[in-house]
Amino acid sequence: MDDTTACETEPAAADREPEDGDAAAARARADVYALLAAAFDGDIELLAAALGDGTLADLAGQLPVDVDGKVLERPDLDAQALRIGYDNLFVVPGPHYVPPFASAWADEPSESFESDSQYHDAGQAGELMGDPAAAASQSHGTAGFDPERGDGIPDHLAADLEFMRALCEREATHLAGGGDATDELATVREYQRITVGRLGWLDEFHEAVEEKDTVEGIFAALARLARTFVAWDARHGIATP
Amino acid sequence: MSTDSDTTDADSTEAESGASMTRRDLVKAVGSVGLLGAASSATAEVDTEDLWTDVEHYVGDDYGEYGASDVVHTTCGQCNTFCPIKVRLADESATGEYSSLVRKLAGNPYSFLNTQPFSQVPYDSDPETAAMGDVEGSGDVDAERWSLSGGRICLKGQAGIQTAFDSYRVRKPMKRVGPRGSGEWKTVSWEQAIRDIVDGDDELGHPGLRDLWAYAPEEAVMEDWEAVQSGEMAKSTFDERWADTLIDTDHPDLGPKANQIVDVGGFRRNFIRTRLWHQGLGSINSVHHAGTCGFSSVMGNVRSHAGKKKRQYPDVENCEYLLVWGTNPMVANKGPTWLAPKLTNAIEDGMRMDVVDPRLSKTAEKADTWVPVEPGADGALALGMARWIIEHDRHDVEYLRNPAESAAETDGEPTWSDATHLVLVDEADGPKARAADLGLVDEDHDLADDFVAVDSATGEPRPASEVETGLLNASLTVGGTAVESAWSLYRDRVFEHTVEEYAEMAGVGSDVIAEIADEFTSHGKRAAIMAYRGPAKHANGFYNTRAIATLQHLIGNYDWKGGQITPYAGYSTMSGRYELGQVPDGHSPWGIPLLRGGVNYEDTTLFERDDGYPAERPWFPVAPPQATQELYGSAKDEYPYGVEALFIRPYSNNHVMAVAGGDQIPSILGDPDTIPLVVASDTVIGETSKYADYILPEPTYLERWENFGTYPNKRLADEKLSQPAVEVVPDARPFEDVLIDLWKELDLPGVGGDAIPDADGELWPLHQAEDFYLKLAANIAFDRDPVPDASEDELQVFRESHEKGLGDSFDLGRWKQAVRDEEWAKVVTVLNRGGRFEEPVDDYADRFAEHGHEYDYADRFDDSNAYDGEQMRYKLGSRVDFYSEVVPKGKHSYTGARFDPLPRVDDVEHYGGEVQASVTHDADTERPLRLINWKPRTQGMHRTTNSPWLRETRPENPLWINPRDADERGLENGDEIVIDAGRNSVEGIAMVTNGIRPGVVGAMWGWGRSGDGAVAETIDGETRGPVEEDGHTPYQFDEPMTDEAGLAKGRDAGFAINHLQPLDEALGDTGLSDLVGGSNAQYDAFVEVERK
Repeated sequence: MDDTTACETEPAAADREPEDGDAAAARARADVYALLAAAFDGDIELLAAALGDGTLADLAGQLPVDVDGKVLERPDLDAQALRIGYDNLFVVPGPHYVPPFASAWADEPSESFESDSQYHDAGQAGELMGDPAAAASQSHGTAGFDPERGDGIPDHLAADLEFMRALCEREATHLAGGGDATDELATVREYQRITVGRLGWLDEFHEAVEEKDTVEGIFAALARLARTFVAWDARHGIATP
Repeated sequence: MSTDSDTTDADSTEAESGASMTRRDLVKAVGSVGLLGAASSATAEVDTEDLWTDVEHYVGDDYGEYGASDVVHTTCGQCNTFCPIKVRLADESATGEYSSLVRKLAGNPYSFLNTQPFSQVPYDSDPETAAMGDVEGSGDVDAERWSLSGGRICLKGQAGIQTAFDSYRVRKPMKRVGPRGSGEWKTVSWEQAIRDIVDGDDELGHPGLRDLWAYAPEEAVMEDWEAVQSGEMAKSTFDERWADTLIDTDHPDLGPKANQIVDVGGFRRNFIRTRLWHQGLGSINSVHHAGTCGFSSVMGNVRSHAGKKKRQYPDVENCEYLLVWGTNPMVANKGPTWLAPKLTNAIEDGMRMDVVDPRLSKTAEKADTWVPVEPGADGALALGMARWIIEHDRHDVEYLRNPAESAAETDGEPTWSDATHLVLVDEADGPKARAADLGLVDEDHDLADDFVAVDSATGEPRPASEVETGLLNASLTVGGTAVESAWSLYRDRVFEHTVEEYAEMAGVGSDVIAEIADEFTSHGKRAAIMAYRGPAKHANGFYNTRAIATLQHLIGNYDWKGGQITPYAGYSTMSGRYELGQVPDGHSPWGIPLLRGGVNYEDTTLFERDDGYPAERPWFPVAPPQATQELYGSAKDEYPYGVEALFIRPYSNNHVMAVAGGDQIPSILGDPDTIPLVVASDTVIGETSKYADYILPEPTYLERWENFGTYPNKRLADEKLSQPAVEVVPDARPFEDVLIDLWKELDLPGVGGDAIPDADGELWPLHQAEDFYLKLAANIAFDRDPVPDASEDELQVFRESHEKGLGDSFDLGRWKQAVRDEEWAKVVTVLNRGGRFEEPVDDYADRFAEHGHEYDYADRFDDSNAYDGEQMRYKLGSRVDFYSEVVPKGKHSYTGARFDPLPRVDDVEHYGGEVQASVTHDADTERPLRLINWKPRTQGMHRTTNSPWLRETRPENPLWINPRDADERGLENGDEIVIDAGRNSVEGIAMVTNGIRPGVVGAMWGWGRSGDGAVAETIDGETRGPVEEDGHTPYQFDEPMTDEAGLAKGRDAGFAINHLQPLDEALGDTGLSDLVGGSNAQYDAFVEVERK
């Protein structure tokens, strides 16, 4: 409890915890990002397992997230039910659809990625592969990262969460190694800041999921968990330069 | 919430951001749960330098800048798509006779064709800026990895460098040594070649054109002939007067002796056919490739649409349902370079595409439903769909009831049909009734020739143009004359069989017919059909095409956005500033064409001579005289007359390979008694040209002029102009130049001084190809709103690029002489862009700068040049015909039976009526497997198999066979096999695949060559062996569907598909023909296959 109180605000670099603590924190952040990335990538087997064995409920319980723990502890839901829920929310552009990628939530239409689709109104946002996708792709590319999650959509929530997982792992590896890699560590953390900075659309996304996922509420709770954790990470998780 | 750590968000709260949790809390929390299994394997390998310098990945920075002086825009000739291309000239060249090497071929960025799926650079864009990729809106290589400095080109097009620089090119005029086809040649000078062809040659013992050519005017001959018939002139007098100039004074309708001098070319027809052959020589026989191409498809459309231009394509961009029928637009059919991206995007945007094809083609792979129809039974499938549509009231009755343009206009329809028009059913040739025929108006009334429809308001027959709504089902007697509506006749035809019976004939399920008919009629006007050779290249191909065309009539989708388009829009070429089609004091060609097209046998003197039916060889009374497959057999039989001199340009008409049964041609061509003089203008010693007396070196498409008025799937107007970009063989001369020399020697009109009239009547000389094509460029430049003048900088760029490409052979002063001084700057504008290409909207340059190349201007703006509201801007705008009154004017020349005015299900028959492939009933065949063929994905024509780049992609043509058929024969994928077609057997490799209908086998054409470097050639006593294998990974072996090798086999690899085609039983020297449409049947062979 003392530790918690002492660390309510991020300490200056000189006062920070020992390196092995930083490495462990980075590893822990990577684990959370990995789980969230899997969940929003439709990795249903894993999600079902995490709901079934209480992993997600335990995690939510540790975080100051206003989520009914029971929602995230659902051993009764099988993979097929979750798959249908996931597809209806994040895959099939039907009545329950909430696009899980940044371009759809952009405020302005992209200049260079404007869609010719007859199902898309000219001059309006809500695109696939818009400017945010280009930005994410460029960021992934320059970091040498090739997303496995996100269905090939660079600005997919799962892709950026997976990117954060990889960056946190990278950070953890550096910290654990104890070598002289100050430049790279700074670079990795800068990438982390840029990446969470691109996730501002999670607010609207979470609200939209909450509107659609009113019966079971699992994905609404997951969206809230993701929103909260990313916000926490931006303020307290990512070490400041 | 804001996740941006550098900003604050008033809405964020500590609780939401989890501020009460420390990182240590997190470690503890995570440590208590098992999460590691969620990680993927992707890693971030951060390059610490890149982040700060912000250098993007995937961008090569090792590219060379070049400018417009390094570029010539022209047209590709690797296949008949004829893409507008950009020739990037090499900066350095090794030593050789060529003027310049070519570094790369790409698409022309000014063309809306080769820039798909993007938009072309504005036509006014400065060539230097375009070449540099610096046109505003065209993208930036540095920032966006790509820019529109070059358009798309396919792999075949890129391999064009190997066509031009083929070491097996014919380099000098050559004269045969020994008998025709001996494979031995000696080079001669151009002067000697011209002299021998004009004056004859004792060494080879052939006559010259001077002796062979003679012309008599039709009017004078026929006036005398009528005098002979009426007894006013003695036959002996007639004979004496005309014996030297007519082919046969007993049959003057055969025409002048000039007709026995025959041209077989294909392209450059405006120049060679219209000017030189028809009007210069006075010969009616200048033949192109139609008979071996989709002739019956073209004619099926011609007889289904009354508009000037008839071929039909879909408006892909706005189509909701596309039925692709017997064609493979991802790979072929003018052309894959733009159709593949257009189709792919349309599918992505929600268009459904179904494909009818016995084979799972590259297009069928992308289809929603693949319909593997029985080959040649397409008519049954189409009529089955028609029956379902009519039975379910899914046809557009309102459209069909419009009897004329006026009613259609009121209804907002750009076209109308003949459905309500009345037919004189008791007359033998069943014409449609005209108003005066039925006594509705006097003979001299304005509406005397109007069609007649029954007015649904009154029930009375009236001139169609006065009827607002016609009656569809009409059968009545008017003043004692029985008439019936075209719709009623069509409907009766459709209802001759049930959907189930049609399904049985077509070899598909009736549920499939119902499904595609349902889908076709579920999208209003935004459904379309794209059909071509598959249904047409059978002896019943015309009727198959008609049946498909009338499906389009049923929904009236012509000229509607997303429906059928008639894409011929272009710019004036042959007239305007110069009247290039006019020859002062030119001859008028006349007489019965050698190929007997467009002439009724019954109307000729031969009908009486030969005791009527059957005629010795087929006639094609309702098709143009382009059934090229008939040429050689006709020459052998001298029917209707012999051929004295044959000029062939096998670059695009290599008939030994391209005609079904072409293996019979060498024995005919090889006999000098059959055709005394054979001259080939060719780039290589090919399968057909090797039987010539002379082979004259022809430039390839990168070295000469040409103009293509093409009809691809396009919404805007364009005119492509080929121009010489490089000179590879210094002694090669375009055939136009050779003919000009020959015509001058013979003192024929249309060449030399005073040959071409301009708009003011002033006469201009024609001494070389430039004199024609530069005037053609001027006509293009000045059509509609003239193009802008080239600036001084552009004129300089033009000179520099042509000097670089053509070297000393480029004579700027001579080129400028071909047009007026004031025209030159506009001509250069057209040449610098490889033609003229319409922009999608007005003020395009400004809009392009604003929106960039990734924008569909034609669809987005109201002032689109492609659309007029919901309709196409360039329209068919005509009547469409269920019932053709032209077709029954022709009769089958074997039986005398009239051709059918309606679409029908027909068997595939030989000339004498023997059934080759039955559609209407089950029939046993001697061999069980139907052999079809298709254009290779990686070859353009026979003429591209010289390219090792292309042969590496597909070293030969395996035979596709279904596993069911393979299992029955104990065959496995990759087995060496023997394909037995009865009269011929060939060896091949089996490709076992579910991608072909059981009972059907097939392979690509273009293989099994015996010319063009596939066999040894001896020139001036030196023998050069055939091309051997070539490639990069010779340790790999070719196994279909598994081969990854880059090994190009020799040029003789594979087998010649057309040499397995059956010969017509009544003729024995060529394949089967469709007598109505004119096509050579190429999908009607039956074979057996066994392991070698």
